[in-house]
Amino acid sequence: MHRRDFLKFTGLASGTLVLGGAAAAGYMSGADKTGNTGWGRAPYAKDQFFNRKPFFVTTPTYEKVGTPQRIQYLDNLFRRNGELGMHIRSLGEGGLESVKGEGISSLPQELKAYYTEHPSAFEEFFLTRESAKQQRERWPEHRNQYLLAEAWSKAHASPLKGREAYPPQPQGPPEEWDFEGVNPDPLKLKSPQHGSELIKKITHTFGATLVGVTAIKEEWVYQGILRGVGKTNFAKPAHWKNAIVFAIPHEWESFYANPTYGTSYEAYTMLRFIAGKLETFIREIGFSSRSHVPPNSYDLIIPPLAIDAGLGEQGRHGVVITPELGANTRLAAVSTDMPLEPDKPVDLGIMKFCNKCKICAEECPSGAISFDDKPTKVVRGYRRWCTDQDKCFKAWNQVATSSARGCRVCLAVCPYSRKNNWIHTFARELDPRDPTGFTASTMLAMQKQFFDYPGGSQYLPPPDGNNKTYGKAPDWLRTEEWFDF
Amino acid sequence: MSMGVLIALFFTGLRYWLADASITMNWWKWLILSAWFLFLAITVAAAFTLMGEGEWTAGKRFLLFFGIVLLLAGSGIWKLLKKV
Repeated sequence: MHRRDFLKFTGLASGTLVLGGAAAAGYMSGADKTGNTGWGRAPYAKDQFFNRKPFFVTTPTYEKVGTPQRIQYLDNLFRRNGELGMHIRSLGEGGLESVKGEGISSLPQELKAYYTEHPSAFEEFFLTRESAKQQRERWPEHRNQYLLAEAWSKAHASPLKGREAYPPQPQGPPEEWDFEGVNPDPLKLKSPQHGSELIKKITHTFGATLVGVTAIKEEWVYQGILRGVGKTNFAKPAHWKNAIVFAIPHEWESFYANPTYGTSYEAYTMLRFIAGKLETFIREIGFSSRSHVPPNSYDLIIPPLAIDAGLGEQGRHGVVITPELGANTRLAAVSTDMPLEPDKPVDLGIMKFCNKCKICAEECPSGAISFDDKPTKVVRGYRRWCTDQDKCFKAWNQVATSSARGCRVCLAVCPYSRKNNWIHTFARELDPRDPTGFTASTMLAMQKQFFDYPGGSQYLPPPDGNNKTYGKAPDWLRTEEWFDF
Repeated sequence: MSMGVLIALFFTGLRYWLADASITMNWWKWLILSAWFLFLAITVAAAFTLMGEGEWTAGKRFLLFFGIVLLLAGSGIWKLLKKV
């Protein structure tokens, strides 16, 4: 062979090897577990974080259109259903049928007022109860297939049980409880900046992926019930000055296999441990503190606080979307009187993307997510997309799980919920810097054309659907990989 | 480093392939050709990244779509290289 031919064919072989190398490197990058942000080899290293500085704004991207109002506790689905459930139980046997038959007018005053304003929520309550009954009856058919998923979820839920749940629920008014065990001889903090920096570092060491700080606005405080006190109308306590808001993702592989393989409890319990430790830490250095943790131990509404703290923006599905974790962002907070420098909110174009996207609305098994082109509903003084909580909860009671433990399909299908590897990092860096919106439109077109989505009802069990999950369940949650049945 | 060696060998070989095809190269032609090869490598890497994530269908569709785009662009570039 001539030298010239040798070089020509060596070149050809080298070009092929370069492309093969690109394929191999790409595949390894995609499969690499360190792309699972928040769980990787460097839990709070610099390369984990999106640089928010170029996107700081003075006011958050949610739109204020009136006088803000505090959220009444009955606006919270779980509290509302809890109240109605208690009322039904208080009536004894036949209570459910009696309340259903007599209607809203038979309810105690507060519930009557709420359901008169939201009659569809009253109807959904009974439909959900029926769905829950069917879910329980159907569970034996699915138990073997989802044995590991159920066991995994129950394992994560186990620290939430009963009075021993951590952190302990407040006992007594905030002016007492939040100060219990506070160091009586605190040192002088050098500055609020020092305070914020320290608290963020500490919260990361407790396991938080993202941490932000914001002042607590009055309108983000629940009204009508106060943990440790009970039902009461109260003013925001003076010492609830700042909130430390933090986020972690769900375990990514189970998260993509929602609704049946994932669980909310896994992130919830981790958040509770972080919050409880942070609560103790803050008291030890001389300041009051109070945890606000999932599933329902809140006196503050956390998502708007997270937006104020610059963690992300509100998504169409009502969940905060962050650049690092997308909608795989689970939140908790600790309120404190510690002097802290607040973070700035950000505008990353997420809400604008949500205007066009609608994938979560298309995929929602219960049709609970708004298809409006822009946020249209005014809720307590803010214009926003509104997710129908009652419809959403009904789907929890329909999917093939043993009980209502969430759905999370909207979070899994969100185009922002992508791992921390080069291709998604490139997209999340490019999109917010493109003022034309071309990048967003192109990515959305690719998302819709290239990716497979089962479609709303397919996530439900037969006959309505086929128990589909968004992604394939990991082997460690697939019973058939480990057991004969 | 081995990737760098392979790329150098590829371009060395390419030089002879182009010369044998009677194509005279200049700086902008090399630039276009390099950019095309870079996009090809990125497309392959991106498609396989999606496959590595478990998004096999998305990866295959991505490769098919951008593969066709790159094939068409490549044929256009080849004609341009020969013509000018």
